[in-house]
Amino acid sequence: MKVKILQWHAVASWTWDAQDETCGICRMAFDGCCPDCKFPGDDCPLIWGACNHSFHLHCILKWVNSQTPQPHCPMCRREWQFKG
Amino acid sequence: MLDVSRVQKELAECNKDKAISGVSINLHGGDDLSHLEGTISGPVGTPYEGGTFRIDVRLPSGYPFEPPKMQFVTKVWHPNISSQNGAICLDILKDQWSPALTLKTALLSLQALLSAPEPDDPQDAVVAQQYLQNHPTFVATAQYWTEAFAKRTSVGIEEKVQKLVEMGFPEALVKSTLDSVNGDENMALEKLCSS
Repeated sequence: MKVKILQWHAVASWTWDAQDETCGICRMAFDGCCPDCKFPGDDCPLIWGACNHSFHLHCILKWVNSQTPQPHCPMCRREWQFKG
Repeated sequence: MLDVSRVQKELAECNKDKAISGVSINLHGGDDLSHLEGTISGPVGTPYEGGTFRIDVRLPSGYPFEPPKMQFVTKVWHPNISSQNGAICLDILKDQWSPALTLKTALLSLQALLSAPEPDDPQDAVVAQQYLQNHPTFVATAQYWTEAFAKRTSVGIEEKVQKLVEMGFPEALVKSTLDSVNGDENMALEKLCSS
């Protein structure tokens, strides 16, 4: 039998590959976005620390920028370093 | 800007298991999300057992990046809490705050502080000194303060008893009647009049 495809719809789903469901800072779902953003996805990305804890980039930046001299991970209190 | 959605979530989450956790948090009155009131029940096996302690909670606009401001409203005799104004000496409410902490975990930390005073890092020097040098007196005072200030219902009962006694009912009868109606003054009066 020969099948001729006339039309097709691709459906994809995506999710962040984080260990937690929600961001420990804003408590919003990782698959949602931080309180300052409207749309989840590349505009409101996740970021990992050297300690492997993840947050919305916008959330951890607010925390890191408010901490002097040395910011710590909100979860484990280790020195915060962005995972390279 | 205060993260409103986080605060609303926290309120709901904290009160979900308040019967088990022994801590709860509510709006202070009105609809101002930045002014809240927490309660913690005194830990069992401490001089604070049986008391309910009210805590004034103010959220700075930078919350959760800045710690909540907490202060005991209920008077409490404890080395790390001012006996004058309820100010609290606890690291996580100061430089050890983390945005991963919540109002609930902060209140639970206060509850833990009641269980485990740190007299070497005091807020109230007089209390701390008593704690270290005359422990039995410290325990007795803390118990007395719990009795006098943190048991609002029992204090209320005393006043109700006195009021009804002044109306001419015998004290023993007033007490048993109040007990039978769970402290409802009006129902007790009705019962006393009809008996």
